[in-house]
Amino acid sequence: MSLSPLQVTNLVKHYGPVRALNGVSFSVQPGEVFGLLGPNGAGKTSLISIVTTLEKATGGQVHVFGEPLGKESAVAKCKIGWVPQEIINHGYFSTKEILEFHAGYYGVAQADVAIEELLRRLDLWEHKDKKVRQLSGGMKRRLMIAKALVHRPQLLLLDEPTAGVDVELRLKLWQFVKDLRQQGLSILLTTHYLEEAEHLCDRVAIIHKGELRAIDRTEDLIQKWSRKRVQLHLNRDVVLKHADLMSGEGRCWTFMTSQNKPLGALLSELQIEVNDIVDVQMTDGSLEDVFVHFTQKGAL
Amino acid sequence: MTVDLVWTPFKTLLRREIARFMKVAAQTVVTPFINASLYLLIFGVSLGQKIEIGNGLPYLAFLIPGLVMMGCLNNAFQNTSSSIIASKFGGDLEDLKAAPIRSWQILAALGIGALVRGLMVAAVTWSAGAVAYYAQFGQWLGFHNLGIVLLFLVLGGLIFANIGISVGFWARNFDQLSAVGGFILLPLIYLGGVFFSTDQLPEFWRNVAMGNPLLYMINGLRFGAIGVSDVDWLTALAVSILALAATFGLAMLSLKKGSFHRW
Ligand SMILES: Nc1ncnc2c1ncn2[C@@H]1O[C@H](COP(=O)(O)OP(=O)(O)OP(=O)(O)O)[C@@H](O)[C@H]1O
Ligand SMILES: [Mg+2]
Repeated sequence: MSLSPLQVTNLVKHYGPVRALNGVSFSVQPGEVFGLLGPNGAGKTSLISIVTTLEKATGGQVHVFGEPLGKESAVAKCKIGWVPQEIINHGYFSTKEILEFHAGYYGVAQADVAIEELLRRLDLWEHKDKKVRQLSGGMKRRLMIAKALVHRPQLLLLDEPTAGVDVELRLKLWQFVKDLRQQGLSILLTTHYLEEAEHLCDRVAIIHKGELRAIDRTEDLIQKWSRKRVQLHLNRDVVLKHADLMSGEGRCWTFMTSQNKPLGALLSELQIEVNDIVDVQMTDGSLEDVFVHFTQKGAL
Repeated sequence: MTVDLVWTPFKTLLRREIARFMKVAAQTVVTPFINASLYLLIFGVSLGQKIEIGNGLPYLAFLIPGLVMMGCLNNAFQNTSSSIIASKFGGDLEDLKAAPIRSWQILAALGIGALVRGLMVAAVTWSAGAVAYYAQFGQWLGFHNLGIVLLFLVLGGLIFANIGISVGFWARNFDQLSAVGGFILLPLIYLGGVFFSTDQLPEFWRNVAMGNPLLYMINGLRFGAIGVSDVDWLTALAVSILALAATFGLAMLSLKKGSFHRW
């Protein structure tokens, strides 16, 4: 049995009267990309901050590869790479120096090879002598990622790694994340781009107001909690009644049906013949539907 | 890839501390040089000719060790406090918290980094003083006992590095930092006998001055430099060692309880 890279149990975090986390439990499986989703203020960064020991939990436990996270958990810390939500500035130091220092903090004295490889992979090699403030927003993000990886961690915590990143770079970063998973890294990722989570994450947890609302394989969540949209264009005016009906009149009708309901079943319930149909458009449900379902007002 | 969690993090942090002030060498070395030269010019050369300090030494000889210690203490304090505050500002203090670095490694690296800067400034100040002395008296100012000089410089530098660490971790903004520097440390340094001997004070004020631990560090160094001191140098040594232990405890406490959060 391999150990869970990250297991949080009943995690509670209060900031004075603010209840940021209210007993959250889950575990990340080895080698998976785990999405931690939730609206602004849901408690995602608070959870990550507890794992990086930047914040102390009010209650609950964190285990990193089976080891309880304590005050000076040097071994556990070595296994974690962390990309913070906010860019970290390093004053006078250049990109290359920053990475050398970072490797050193994690006990790696000779990191030149690893640093060059990372900088090249993240298209930062030509910027190696620049200071953080001389980099563009996207370059800064990539530098944060390089920093998180320079000591070869086994668990990567990515707190909104693609915030403020252009489409091209986002696609590159997606590929990069997939490559890292391929290499065996376990990854916990937060993002507000649900399309990104849908594309990258093997499993997803949705938290809202400090509570875990849903957790499952991404496609299972979509299957279970989203609806597909069916638009029918008919060759004559009709009047239709159905529980799944969203809108429509005359020849054009729109339905939201459960994800696994066959089109044939819907048509026979509506008593529509195939000959009556001019066109059918179907749009699969998305993680966004699931997210809205679990986080909108009054949900659960 | 070999991982060593004992020396590598410490050495890396020390390297960073030294690189940090070397990148602004103008600020860290030239400014103290100008300061020292001004003090030497105003107090040592122009006013000093009217001041007697007994046992036959000119006032300039008395002033130089005081300035050397003042430069060392000020710069050690500034180095640790501004390093921490700058790291809070940039956010890289959070990196240290997340990394497998232990408190003693942080304290040792910051302390020694600050000490290096303090010793550099001390050397620069001494050189400026030596030149001024030669210009006035046509002979070089030697050391009474270089070992004692270095001992007190190291003690004083580390003590002020610890104070800077404590203030850096507790401070919530720049104002608090400069308040501590301006309202507490600077008066203590000035009143610690940099410019005058407590023998020149009325008895009441002399007793007050004796309560200032800086008086002992400054006089200890002055004894090493010119063999003259207001207090017995072994007493000065004992007080300095106690102060080092106390400030070390304070710095450790700040590190454990203080904030690593960015501003
Ligand atoms: N240092 C702090 N002091 C007080 N309250 C805090 C602190 N950090 C976070 N909070 C509060 O805790 C709650 C959770 O914040 P957190 O940053 O974890 O949310 P998040 O899910 O990361 O949000 P976002 O998507 O906007 O980054 C919020 O109500 C926030 O105001
Ligand atoms: Mg956040």
